[in-house]
Amino acid sequence: MTGIADIASHPLPVLLVLGPLLAAAAVRPLGRWSPRLRNAYVLGVSGTTLLGAAALLPLVAANHRVGAEIPAMIGRLTFVADPFGMVFALFATFVWFCATLYSFDYLKHHEHRDLYHSTSLVVLASMLGVVLAGDLVTLYLFFEALGLVAFLFVIHARTAEASRASVTYLWMTVLGGFALIGGIFLTQALGGDASLGPLPLSDSPETLRWITFGLLVGGFGVKAGMVPVHVWLPDAHPVAPAPASALLSGVMIKAGAYGIFRTVSALFRPEVVADVSEQLWHMTASFGLTVLWLGIATMAIGVVLALGQHDAKRMLAYHSVSQMGFILVGIGAAGYIGLEGAMGTAGGLFHAANHALFKSALFLGIGAVVYRTGRSDMYELGGLWRKMPWTFAFMLVAAAGITGVPLFNGFVSKCLVHHALEQAYEVQHLASLDIAEKIYLVTCGGTACSFIKLIGLVFFGKPEREYGPEVADPPPRMLVALGILAAAIVVLGVRPGLLLKGLLGPGLIAWALPADGLDYYLDVYFLSPADLMSTVIAFAIGAVAYAIGMRFGLFHLRAPSWFGVHYWYRAFANGFIDWSSWAGRAHRAYLDAVSRSVRNALLGIRSLWHLLERDIDHLAVVVAAGTPGIKGRHFVRTAHAALDREREVTVRYAVTKAHTWLQKRDDFSAQRAHETLEAVRDIAAHMTRRQHGQRTRALAEMVRSGEVEAVRRGFEHALHDIRVFRSEVAHTALELAEQRMCGLDVVDQMSAAVDRLSEEERFDQRLRTARHHLPPTHPGVHDSLGEGVTRATGALGRLRVRWFGRVEAFLRWGIELVRLVIEAATEEHSRWSVPQQIDPDTVLKTRRQIQRYARDTSLGIAAIVVVFLLVMTAIVAGSGR
Amino acid sequence: MRAVDDSLMSSTAPVFAVLLPIAGAMLAPILGRTSRSARNVVLVVACAVTAALAFSFVPATMTGEIREAYLLRVTPQIWLHLRVDALGVLFGATVAGLWVLVLVYSLSHMADSHRLNRFYAFLMLCLGCMMGVAYAGNLLTFLIFYELFSILTYPLIVHDETPAALAAGTKYIVYILIGGSLVLVGVVFTYFVAGDQTLTAGGLLGSETDVGVLRAIFWCFIAGFGVKAAIVPLHGWVPDAHPAAPAPFSAVLSGVMVAAGTFGIARVVFQVFGIEILTHLGVMPYVAAFAAFTVFFAAVLAVSEDGIKRRLAYSTISQMGYVTLGIALLGAGAAVGALVHITNHAFMKGALFLCAGLLSKRAGIRSVSEMAGVARRMPWTMAAFSLASLGMIGTPPLAGFISKWYLGLGILDAGQPFYLAVLLGGSLIAAVYLLPIIYSAYFREPPSSSAERDDTESEAPAGMLVPTIVASLMTLALGLAATVPGSPLSLAQLAVDAFFR
Repeated sequence: MTGIADIASHPLPVLLVLGPLLAAAAVRPLGRWSPRLRNAYVLGVSGTTLLGAAALLPLVAANHRVGAEIPAMIGRLTFVADPFGMVFALFATFVWFCATLYSFDYLKHHEHRDLYHSTSLVVLASMLGVVLAGDLVTLYLFFEALGLVAFLFVIHARTAEASRASVTYLWMTVLGGFALIGGIFLTQALGGDASLGPLPLSDSPETLRWITFGLLVGGFGVKAGMVPVHVWLPDAHPVAPAPASALLSGVMIKAGAYGIFRTVSALFRPEVVADVSEQLWHMTASFGLTVLWLGIATMAIGVVLALGQHDAKRMLAYHSVSQMGFILVGIGAAGYIGLEGAMGTAGGLFHAANHALFKSALFLGIGAVVYRTGRSDMYELGGLWRKMPWTFAFMLVAAAGITGVPLFNGFVSKCLVHHALEQAYEVQHLASLDIAEKIYLVTCGGTACSFIKLIGLVFFGKPEREYGPEVADPPPRMLVALGILAAAIVVLGVRPGLLLKGLLGPGLIAWALPADGLDYYLDVYFLSPADLMSTVIAFAIGAVAYAIGMRFGLFHLRAPSWFGVHYWYRAFANGFIDWSSWAGRAHRAYLDAVSRSVRNALLGIRSLWHLLERDIDHLAVVVAAGTPGIKGRHFVRTAHAALDREREVTVRYAVTKAHTWLQKRDDFSAQRAHETLEAVRDIAAHMTRRQHGQRTRALAEMVRSGEVEAVRRGFEHALHDIRVFRSEVAHTALELAEQRMCGLDVVDQMSAAVDRLSEEERFDQRLRTARHHLPPTHPGVHDSLGEGVTRATGALGRLRVRWFGRVEAFLRWGIELVRLVIEAATEEHSRWSVPQQIDPDTVLKTRRQIQRYARDTSLGIAAIVVVFLLVMTAIVAGSGR
Repeated sequence: MRAVDDSLMSSTAPVFAVLLPIAGAMLAPILGRTSRSARNVVLVVACAVTAALAFSFVPATMTGEIREAYLLRVTPQIWLHLRVDALGVLFGATVAGLWVLVLVYSLSHMADSHRLNRFYAFLMLCLGCMMGVAYAGNLLTFLIFYELFSILTYPLIVHDETPAALAAGTKYIVYILIGGSLVLVGVVFTYFVAGDQTLTAGGLLGSETDVGVLRAIFWCFIAGFGVKAAIVPLHGWVPDAHPAAPAPFSAVLSGVMVAAGTFGIARVVFQVFGIEILTHLGVMPYVAAFAAFTVFFAAVLAVSEDGIKRRLAYSTISQMGYVTLGIALLGAGAAVGALVHITNHAFMKGALFLCAGLLSKRAGIRSVSEMAGVARRMPWTMAAFSLASLGMIGTPPLAGFISKWYLGLGILDAGQPFYLAVLLGGSLIAAVYLLPIIYSAYFREPPSSSAERDDTESEAPAGMLVPTIVASLMTLALGLAATVPGSPLSLAQLAVDAFFR
């Protein structure tokens, strides 16, 4: 045979997968109607599936590969049964049947039984889908379904422990699924076509090959409980109900082993051609060696952790990890050896089948113990061999299987794997493989020790508490299920040829590999003294370890939590969640900041626009109304002087008042009286200064808005009216003087007082009211202009704006300057006559004129400089051209 | 010369597909005043007939036939022109299909809401404009319908008229108008360079155009459509608009309206520029990088979000990143994945939003932390939610897997395997933000305060439940029957074959 065997078309593989899947839909309606009928139905379906798988055997024997396809998803889903897949399909359906039979009584008092049974059927279908898948996409589909649906087994008990375990399980499964699909994608990059055949590896980059391989093995390894991605397994398997644990540990993790097996022996093997050169196997060898060492690590770490357990189910779960290591070693050794790796392949797959049988028997047995006693802590149990003799017998058979006692099935597969390991060492005499072989033996010893401990603690010795009368062998259906499994263990142990020659040999031939190694094993090695010796050595190690461990309490040692990978996975997951919530907060804060600043900017623009609008109005007023005319300016000067005088008078008035008041008081010393007067003067000066400022501003506003004539007419009246406020100021000054002398800060109070006064006074109003009282002599141009804008100016008057005010002032100044020039040109020089006597008004007027002059001159100079600069620029620019 | 082997056929059907919903929208306020049920019947019929029209294009398109209709001559040079090609059929059928579900759902979901006439009128107007977007034959037609539906969306987002909704609406309209203006600039630019041309494979723009101009046009389009497609620096409106809008509208907003942005990008990339020019321009790697960042960043933000609708909104941003990424890789496989993901995502996310609407309507649940044990009260809703979530994550055999499979293969074909990490990493984070919802709904104990409520079945009435379940079953159907002729996948392949010919 020179290629992979052709596929004979037959619908049975498809039916095997779809049958239980569709059957699952009827479980719930049936269960509501009649639980007994549902039980019969479920048992019937799993029994039929078992028979169907058995019916595939002759077909596969005749055609090597039998399959069919259904159109779905991307093109089609293909299902192919080859002898290797059949091994898995057979033990899966067999164990499923037993576990289903067992589950009816076990679950009697559980809730969600319908859910359990429908889950069971869907998972069975998925399991068969995985092992009968003809291409990687189909395999991935059912692998994901298997992992996600089996979640319902893990959480079935709904206890706190179960939910913790289920969360770990879920995330590991999801991660594994993603690694797997990543690997499947990369097989396409390597030139594969998603089929389960050799990849054309010869011209692909090595890094890509390793990444692909790593992702595939990692993805399958999660399911297989491979170290270091095994963390979910010891949590998840014990919390499930016993029949589900049996399925999880016995069957479902084999899906992972199956995947790794296909990865090494189908995907990453040389093309199946007529003469496969040794050279081409070289690549497969390095992948095989990797898997082999992963297996060694898995088996050793699994068994060490198992030894430290109290809970029997948890211990069995750790042994599942360890036993998966044996399978991986077999598969890896086969890959490493290459063409002649028959014993490795056979050992690994045989062990997968064996482990399914004895591990499910062990879980079901412990399940029976828990069912009767309600306890699963080994150290609490004891002496059960009398009370539960059948359970004890079947457990003993299963333990003999797992520890590799001759004539029980584990013996055969362990020896096969051991031979493969020795054979691998022979290939290149790698020293590391020699060490691996030693670790293998010690692990076998550890397994022996562990099960001596289990059987010893549970069935012999004394229990911590006495058992009630209900502790006896479980109901017959549970016992029958256990018995069938035990029988299978013995049959395969006595007649290993059934599987080796019936399926594994033809499988190797179907994949164009020589199978004579198997015949050689059966003829020469099976039950040979050397193999028996290795078992004896293992048991010797186990017994010694048990004795020492029990004596010194070594089984109670615990490593710190950070020592386990679990701790780090959890830390990483929590870290990611923390980080993402941090990122979310940062993002929100950032968005808030952006939207806030946008909003602020918009508000700013809007208020700026308001200011601008106001100032444009203002400016319009200034431009339209102009600065006061000549007459007006004269008036303004006079008015300013008058107001200034009013200010001085007010201060004087306040001081006089205070003086009068002080004279009436006898208790004031001269010193204090003087200080009081000073304080009154200061306060009054401050207040009047502010009053004066407000009055002049109001005046200026009105004048500027063109009301100069009106103001002129009303001014005398207003000036007269505001005299009443003199006494107010004097009064306030006197009041505050006391406080000020105590050293208190009275600025606020002064301001408040001034504000109150000006509120009362409303100088601009007074000016206007006064105007209305008097009939206008003749309305001026400014008046008519000003009338229109008075209202706007009134509102604007109070609001002065920073930069815009300056522009406006500048403009006003410019206009005024022009007027000044005109005025200077037209004014009669006779007006400049020196006044006869210098009154305060004249002084003030002169002071203001000097100020103006200085300002105007500086403008002139500035204008000259600007013009000069412009000329210079023009010259420079002109010469540049 | 481009080989013209598509048989062109003049047909009025596309015109009806656009006008029928608009007619329905006109009737809605009139009928609504007299009889609610009459209005509802008319709307459902209009919507269903539109969907039937949209689906009726599928068989002919599969044979390579292209229907077209000239609507209106805007200027002597420019026509409003409808043209039903494979890409348009794909998008149009998706839009119409989802719309029927959403309309039926909203009939009972919105029954006690205010201003229903306005809501339905704008909903139908949007449908009409979306159909116009799908079938637009040239850029101007595309632009007109695109802008129309973008603006018509506003009253739907602010429907509740709460301050939050109004704020979200303002945010939406600011973003969309800026984006729309950029698209307008792009269209004007294109018209300036190439004149008004029918959108066909191979691109409108000639390679003789200046590279700088081409780049400017390209970035105008990408930034413009990127706002709608929620590429990350431009995504700000999405997480606010979705929670504010009524649930049925969130479903279409997320399902097809955001996708309209990516649809625009696809049109621009494949039919305005064409593969050759873009390869020459060398701009696509940047778009791909932006898209990849979008996928990750939005997914991480979704993890941190507690509000269900906000979480789903971030998820939409992330998923639309896949579509943009697929288009940006300029490979046939990736483009198929991207286009089919528009459809797949529409139904998955539609189902999720409809579920979110049921949860908030029937159980008052708006945040993930309130979900504990809700599956006992609303088993069907949570079943639909779970199915759609698993689809989002990309679990086979659901729709999400199909798009991710083709995207993955396309990424490998394009020779950029590191984007595979984006694809899978994004899906993984999708699992991180979706699976805990399902987990707590099914397996966490409800808080003791709601213990007495717990027994009361608060499952939604059939009017809302059926569209939700149909949408989530579409997830399954689109996955299982992906390769059936006439499926979204086959249409996407047909469209992409034309682009890469």
